Amino acid sequence: MSFFGFDTTLPRDKAGGANSKGFFEHANPFNEVAKARKLQAFQDNQEEVLDFEDTYDGLGDQLQEAGDDFNDDTFGGGAEGSNDRGGVGKDFDFFGSTAQVSTAIEEEAMRYNLQYPSRETAPPQSRKPKKTGYEKYQDPGYIPEIEAKSGAWSHKPSTHSPGQPSQPEDIHVSTSRHTAPAPEAPQPGTKMMSLEEVEAALLAQAQAHARAQAAQAPQPPYPQPQVFPFPVDHMHPPQPYQPGPPPMPFNQQHAPPPPRSASPRRHNRMPSQPSHPSQTSQLRPAQQPLQILQNPNRARHSPQPSVDRVQGLPPYGPAQAGAAPGITHPQQLLDLSEAQRRAYLEEDAKRAKRNHKIFLLSKGNGLMTPQDKNFITRIQLQQLVTATGTSADPNPEASLNEDFYYQVYSQIRGAPRQHPTQPLGHFAQTYLFQTGIRGGGRRQHANGDNHMQRMQQQVQRAVEAAKLKPKNKQLIIEGSLGKISFSNAKTPKPLLNIKRQDSSDARPASGRKEVSPSDRKTILKNIEAVYTTLMRLEDHERQSPPPPTEGDADSIQAHLDWRQKLQELNTALWQELKVLDPIVPGSSIPHPFIAFLSFAKGKKAMPRIFRLIDQEQRLTILTMIVVHLDQLDVTKDARPAAGDSQPTLAVREEIELFSQTVMPCLLQYVNEAPINIVIGLLGLLVERTSIAVVAMTKIGLGMMTMLLTRAELSKESGVVSDQEWQQWTALYNRLFDTLEPLLGLLFPGPVNSGDDIYIWQFLATIGIGASPDQQQRLVIGVKDRVMETVQQSKTLPPEMASVRLGNVNLFMRAIGLDVEMLG
Amino acid sequence: MADMADEAAAAVSEPLDLVRLSLDEIVFVRLRGDRELKGRLHAYDSHCNLVLGEVEETIYTIEDEDDGDETVKTTKKQSDMLFVRGTLSHPTVLASDSNDR
Repeated sequence: MSFFGFDTTLPRDKAGGANSKGFFEHANPFNEVAKARKLQAFQDNQEEVLDFEDTYDGLGDQLQEAGDDFNDDTFGGGAEGSNDRGGVGKDFDFFGSTAQVSTAIEEEAMRYNLQYPSRETAPPQSRKPKKTGYEKYQDPGYIPEIEAKSGAWSHKPSTHSPGQPSQPEDIHVSTSRHTAPAPEAPQPGTKMMSLEEVEAALLAQAQAHARAQAAQAPQPPYPQPQVFPFPVDHMHPPQPYQPGPPPMPFNQQHAPPPPRSASPRRHNRMPSQPSHPSQTSQLRPAQQPLQILQNPNRARHSPQPSVDRVQGLPPYGPAQAGAAPGITHPQQLLDLSEAQRRAYLEEDAKRAKRNHKIFLLSKGNGLMTPQDKNFITRIQLQQLVTATGTSADPNPEASLNEDFYYQVYSQIRGAPRQHPTQPLGHFAQTYLFQTGIRGGGRRQHANGDNHMQRMQQQVQRAVEAAKLKPKNKQLIIEGSLGKISFSNAKTPKPLLNIKRQDSSDARPASGRKEVSPSDRKTILKNIEAVYTTLMRLEDHERQSPPPPTEGDADSIQAHLDWRQKLQELNTALWQELKVLDPIVPGSSIPHPFIAFLSFAKGKKAMPRIFRLIDQEQRLTILTMIVVHLDQLDVTKDARPAAGDSQPTLAVREEIELFSQTVMPCLLQYVNEAPINIVIGLLGLLVERTSIAVVAMTKIGLGMMTMLLTRAELSKESGVVSDQEWQQWTALYNRLFDTLEPLLGLLFPGPVNSGDDIYIWQFLATIGIGASPDQQQRLVIGVKDRVMETVQQSKTLPPEMASVRLGNVNLFMRAIGLDVEMLG
Repeated sequence: MADMADEAAAAVSEPLDLVRLSLDEIVFVRLRGDRELKGRLHAYDSHCNLVLGEVEETIYTIEDEDDGDETVKTTKKQSDMLFVRGTLSHPTVLASDSNDR
């Protein structure tokens, strides 16, 4: 209660004092007690040493300053209060309200003014500079925030405690009277008087202000007039301090706040005018409930949102209103008890502190535009949403939940996680809605409302869209920038419509290896492999150790090793030759070994190979060649193209090469081969090969000649058994029968082509083994050719003629004839 | 078969082994200076120095005629044996089918 008393006397104290701060803001109630004690002690000391008057003077000055502030607030409650509201908001509201309600205070002020007009004027000056700091708060936007923080909570409790159930006026009076009970009585009377008069004057001013500030605050005139009555007198002096013309600045400052408190004031005032408008204003914020109960008028005020704000700042208002008169006049201090004085000083200091704090806080005012604030609000909203989202679902997507945009996105998309989505949407909506209301209520700026509403609407729209939108038939991968339609992912558009055939599928894989032996590169590789092994084998042969001597284990061992190594190399070579690869009858793919022989270097390798392999291997090779005689390049390609007398140069070279390299090897073996082998080879030749093809080629004829010659030689040597000879004869007859129709075609070209000796040789060989009947048929078959050659030889130079005739004679003599006989 | 195939594969373990496959084959060699060789490859080394037999060398020269047109003139030379320094040969050493002859 003591605080209330101080408040009445010293409005500033109230503002800065415990009352204004409220329970929460009270730094430490004991601190104040301590301060009060200190002050008391100080004053006590002073009292002892100093005269009261001196003390009064000093205090008076100080008080005057403080009092000025209060006065301004109090008086301005109408005028300044509105201004202050612009800056401080609540304070001004309080002032305005105080001015309306606290008639008692006004009365006191009036009385003091009458008594000490000069003093009052002075103090306001000092106060005003302080207020200038508040001027920054003129923007209504800033004030509410500060108010909300500091004032709203604090005031109610403080005011409630002082408030008395009987009447609002009484409450204020009681509070104020504690400090200065005396002034109260006179105030009502004076106020009644002054109010009427002042109202008229104030109305005039207020109207002027209203016109000027109509845009800012439509209702300013009302509050001002209320406050003005007294303030007008007091206030006018302070006005000069303000930069602008005295009346205008006040109005301007006051103008903004009125909208909030203005309406309440009116209501209060109308009924309360007789009582104490200023008090009502003070009480409103803090004592709303009580007031509502007590005063029907105040009930109106309570519903208004502004009341809370006003409450926040009011501390100044009530305190000032009550204290202003006392402070302004130093005598008031004298009237006050020492304790009261101390309290007043204390509170004054506190208030100064508080003002300074507010000033410091207000430094940043105006830095942010409403838009900036909206942005921050959005960010905070995002964070809030994020926080709830994260806490709501502890699922693995928690990390993603932190992203507000992901949340919204997931909502729009109808995310898989519907559970978290729902509450989130709900939360977002409610929160946004609340925020929107708040913004609208607090700040009456259209901008704030717009932004919040926009946000809100957007989110709502998104949520609705998400609900309405059917689930996408497209695949959206988390984190991907694009969508993948299922049609593409599941059934990709076939660029090529090819039906795979299993059979053809399998072929390429396995078929390749089968085909590979025939492909040129593979054959070349085989040849190189053969050459590599061949060279190693030859090298190894050169490194053969000296023939082992008996008793020399080392030499024997070395020889054995050498032999073993030789055998290994031989085996390798044999494998690489691929002689034993299976023969595929009718296959278009030549046997690897035959392909091997189709290359010149393959042919060239044969002599070297034959030298290093054993008889069995040689026979095998010979057999292979005989069996494939019609597939060798030298036979297959040997037939000259139509119109040509002989095969192409390349083929001729190959044939020549084959004759020079391979044939000798074969001949060497055949010449030592037993008759049975010869019979077997000839049998293979007759059965497995196309005699028609073989017979047309030099190599084929050479091969047959070789075999036939060997058979004749064997027979002549007497080694051949009758049975073998019968076999041979049967085979020979079969061969002759096959050859007979071909005899005339054996000669590839016309008579003048020259190279036909191998043919005559073959014919001679055939003729040797032929029976007389066969010889007859043979002569008939080649008679034409013989005659042509003889005829042609006559036209040729003697040397050439003799050569050709000699060739013919090979055949003629074989059958017991001679060219001479034809001549 | 598999062993042989492996051995065959082993025969080609480095790029020049492919050149080796062309030994004793007719090869086509493009040289710097707009020259081309076609002949039987007798030998080569790691520098791609080549020994060619029965070589036909083709030289392409551009001659400006009086009317301003440029014509490509080819000159051919025959050599029984040629040694081609590796630095002269272009990247392309092509084995040509022996049938080309």
